[in-house]
Amino acid sequence: MTNRSLGLIWRWPALLALLSIFGLLSALLGQTGLWLPLSWGALTLPLAVAAICIVRSRS
Amino acid sequence: MSEQAIFEERVYERKPVLRRWLFVHKWSSLICTLFLLLICITGLPLVLRDEIDGLLDDAVPSAQVAEGTPNISLDRVVESSRTMYPGETILSVFVDDDEPKIMVFMASSWEAFKANRQALHSIRFDAHTGAVLKQTKPFGGDGLTFLQVMLSLHRDLFAGLAGELFLGAMALLFIAAIVSGIAIYGPFMRKLDFGTVRAARSRRLKCLDLHNLLGVVTIGWALVVGATGVINELSTPLFALWQQTDVRAMLAPLQGRPVPQTSELSSPQAAYDTVKAAFPDMTTTSVVYPGSPFGSPFHYVVWTKGKEPLTSRLFSPVLVDARSGALVSAVTMPWYLRGLELSRPLHFGDYGGMPLKIIWVLLDLVTIFVLGSGMYLWFARSRAAKTQQRRSAALPLPSPGAAE
Repeated sequence: MTNRSLGLIWRWPALLALLSIFGLLSALLGQTGLWLPLSWGALTLPLAVAAICIVRSRS
Repeated sequence: MSEQAIFEERVYERKPVLRRWLFVHKWSSLICTLFLLLICITGLPLVLRDEIDGLLDDAVPSAQVAEGTPNISLDRVVESSRTMYPGETILSVFVDDDEPKIMVFMASSWEAFKANRQALHSIRFDAHTGAVLKQTKPFGGDGLTFLQVMLSLHRDLFAGLAGELFLGAMALLFIAAIVSGIAIYGPFMRKLDFGTVRAARSRRLKCLDLHNLLGVVTIGWALVVGATGVINELSTPLFALWQQTDVRAMLAPLQGRPVPQTSELSSPQAAYDTVKAAFPDMTTTSVVYPGSPFGSPFHYVVWTKGKEPLTSRLFSPVLVDARSGALVSAVTMPWYLRGLELSRPLHFGDYGGMPLKIIWVLLDLVTIFVLGSGMYLWFARSRAAKTQQRRSAALPLPSPGAAE
């Protein structure tokens, strides 16, 4: 087992955190047009990623 | 407990910095978890409060009218309210910009309201016909609605300001738990791929991996909702601060002048119209009568908000002389109240339609799992540690210190 760098460990969590913040702000500042679906998508991704990891662990 | 799990825990035990973070994570979580669980569970129906309110509302529905029908005069609404409750004081009139309704809030006097906020009661009027749609009784005479109970458990535990500050402190601990969780996540994951869930080994290990995975993917949301929750809990002191500083300074020149009597008051509809005409870019939402603890003894405070999605969250008060009906001034809101206003939607999740509310509910459920699994892990670890102690007493295993 090799030790992973902090960059590798935080790649996914940091991306998902940035997406969450983007989603929270895009609906607040945009509120119309494409900004709303973008917000829903960005905030759903962290949940979707977690769901995929959990499903994978079962197989 | 597997050897690997023991190894992982030793990683923390060897490094003093990590040990400290682990200590912060453990204790901040342990102290706040039960309250946070309560907050998260009561938060679920609150996310959908508009929908639930609509379902449970027992008011007479407002009349169907032709499009473009104007609202009836606030003067008439106020007059009807005074006729219904002679001798009482009107506190404020609220004009809904969503639904055709006008709310009038009354109490036996401003003093009674200042002594006990529960002294207030309300009358809901049809904005077009002026018909009474619903009334509430003062001092919780109607009993608490489901949503009021949820809100109080969520916000102040039925303990007013003390409860608000206490739950605000719990939310601060929740933030400390997240930050310390971030600090210990890195070292923990050095031997693991992102998203690893070791389901086959033991229940505790699976629970630990799920706790880490679900905790780490919701960091962004949880930090924002936690931090805006803290800000929301400070709303009472923030408004009091504003009242004591800016508002007091503005009213200082009028100090000692006679306060207008009810018979001297100018028309509330005229005050409403004056503000509307002076600020055409704003929506006028309510008229607060003179004497309010959050207002002025000499003026109507007419509250306005912007018309854009974002500015509609930002309220600005305008003062109108309660005797003459003349426009006095718009009051600029300090930065900390603007911050409070912006933190509301980010906490409530009510600004992106139904899909956003559903996402809020799901993220809330995930947070409940993270809190619950954290508790379980603590209990399981104390048990495992005891077993481990007994085992190491029986078998001559080298201690972690001896290996170095």
